[in-house]
Amino acid sequence: MERPKIPVDLIRAKLAAEAEKATQRLEKAKDIFLGSLDTEIGATPFERVYQEDRVSLKYYRPQAAPRLKTPLLLVHALFNRETLLDLQPDRSVVQALLKEGIELYLVDWGSPGHKDRYLTLDDHLNGYLDNMVEFIHQRHRVSRVNLMGVCLGGTFGVIYAALYPEKVKNLITTVSPTHFNTDKGLLHIWLKEIDADRLVNAFGNLPGNLMNIALLLMNPARLLFDKYVGFLENIDNKEFVENFIRMEKWIFDSPDIPGETLRQLIKDLYQQNLLIKGEMRVGSRRVDLQKVTMPVLNIYGQYDHLVPPEACQRLTATVGSADTEDLCLDTGHVGIYVSARFQRELVPRIAAWLAERDC
Amino acid sequence: MELAPLPKSPEPLLAAWIKWTMDFWESLIHMGPSPGNRAGEMESFWDSALKMWQAFFSLLSEPETVAVLFEGIKTPSETLLRMAQAGWSGYFHLHQLWVEKEVGEWAPLETRGFENLDQDIFKICTETYEKDFRQLMNLSQAGLTRLSQECVNRAMDRFRHFQAAMAEFIYLLYLPLKKSLREMQDLGPEEIDLKDFKEFYRFWLRTLEGHYMTLFKSPEYTRTMSHTLEALEDFTLAKQELLADSLALLNIPSRWEMDELCREIYELKKQLKGLAKQVEKGPLPPDRSPGGGDGGEKG
Repeated sequence: MERPKIPVDLIRAKLAAEAEKATQRLEKAKDIFLGSLDTEIGATPFERVYQEDRVSLKYYRPQAAPRLKTPLLLVHALFNRETLLDLQPDRSVVQALLKEGIELYLVDWGSPGHKDRYLTLDDHLNGYLDNMVEFIHQRHRVSRVNLMGVCLGGTFGVIYAALYPEKVKNLITTVSPTHFNTDKGLLHIWLKEIDADRLVNAFGNLPGNLMNIALLLMNPARLLFDKYVGFLENIDNKEFVENFIRMEKWIFDSPDIPGETLRQLIKDLYQQNLLIKGEMRVGSRRVDLQKVTMPVLNIYGQYDHLVPPEACQRLTATVGSADTEDLCLDTGHVGIYVSARFQRELVPRIAAWLAERDC
Repeated sequence: MELAPLPKSPEPLLAAWIKWTMDFWESLIHMGPSPGNRAGEMESFWDSALKMWQAFFSLLSEPETVAVLFEGIKTPSETLLRMAQAGWSGYFHLHQLWVEKEVGEWAPLETRGFENLDQDIFKICTETYEKDFRQLMNLSQAGLTRLSQECVNRAMDRFRHFQAAMAEFIYLLYLPLKKSLREMQDLGPEEIDLKDFKEFYRFWLRTLEGHYMTLFKSPEYTRTMSHTLEALEDFTLAKQELLADSLALLNIPSRWEMDELCREIYELKKQLKGLAKQVEKGPLPPDRSPGGGDGGEKG
């Protein structure tokens, strides 16, 4: 095969021009980095209204007149921080919900330490989460809350709603896996092969950084390479730099995961898929999805490589509720929460869906 | 001066040295003054010491004892020799395997899987280590420091095992990069505009991403990843064991002791929270015992 002729002169001229541009860019970047940068995350004002051990509850006052009688409780996953929902001022799910006049509570799972190694799913759901729901009931004199879960926080929400259907008015899941026996998501493939007992016995709590490495390895080309190329290309753009650092702060601030909870998550969900089969047990109780009788809105991303659509779609067909809706968005896992477009479109839709069911 | 020929066996040398030592001490004792009782006591002390020396050395002069003694002296050098032999046999084994791979297989270049050949080096190294060097790490230890030495050896062994697994894992991660770069080199001008660097970069990124996805979904990757993780787990445990050994000297509790303590606190707290909930709800019916909550599920 004849080798293509490489236009060396053109490439050289282009490189020279690029080098000139890069110098100017770096000059500007120097001023940006030496100046003050606003990289705060989770900046929306809140009140910490409930605390139990390491777990606490953040309360956000609505920015518009309250539109719903029932407050909304947001449950984030244990694997990373709830600040994802309030990453930057102009792209904050929290602020968008507040603007819709929704009274908001956000669970902060805190940072598990050595003492939390033996906490189980039972402790997280029948203990912390149930106590927080009870607290909101008493504070607002309501008998039920609206529950919205993020990623595995949504899976927690589904389990909680099945255990306590009388305490949940409406359930919203966002990119939440409930069917784990799929080979579409890498996490689903990998976790099937992991020996959970060995892992927990060796580490106790799973170090957050180990989880971070696993997440980075899901797409090394983008997450370890292209992301930083993009950063260098925009290094002279202050707003870009600020948002980039905010994202980095969030990504690499993953808490450790309590060992016994992780053991159960891997074994019961990722390896045996017990939840969707109706065979999962939390504490002494079986989780029966037929008991999820409240309205369910199930949102997931079409291009989600972490929680593929296959892992989310079966929920609405399995729960006992007659009022269910699936919403598949053309985005990935994190895009739902950080993309300006989805916040513009999705949050009003969620607010409208809740308002219709707030009687 | 003509030197006496060196004896072939070490026994006559030892006997000569023993005799010389005994003569020296005997003459030394009789050289000193002996006035009064105190000096006599001293003399008798030296006499009895000398008799002990004499008894000890006459025992040593017996050819059987000397033979046993020299046998003992020879042992460490034999151990060293064996260790060296193990090292050499490991090296030769590695070499042999390489030769078999490189020279033995006279297949044409195109039909030989270079990727597999590269990867085989990890298997060969691991095999060599397992076969020859690992035995040294697992040698039974003796004496007061036996446990500590075993801990050190175990940690070293696990660390090496983890390193080997990690090297293989990293190599696997490198393969898509290598493959994508090779593919980019083979691209024709009809497939991509070589003048547009950004397009070239985007094309390469997509290719790389595709190769990674293929790799990550392969059973080989999952197996290597699990193996690396298990090696890390083993090393972590061995390291903690080693650390616990040192911490014990400083009276600092080990991870396992802290685990036990945390479990006790966890159970007590859970029981207490259950009781508090019961109290809040009002008095218990007579047939229900307090506390315990749902009992919990511990893995």
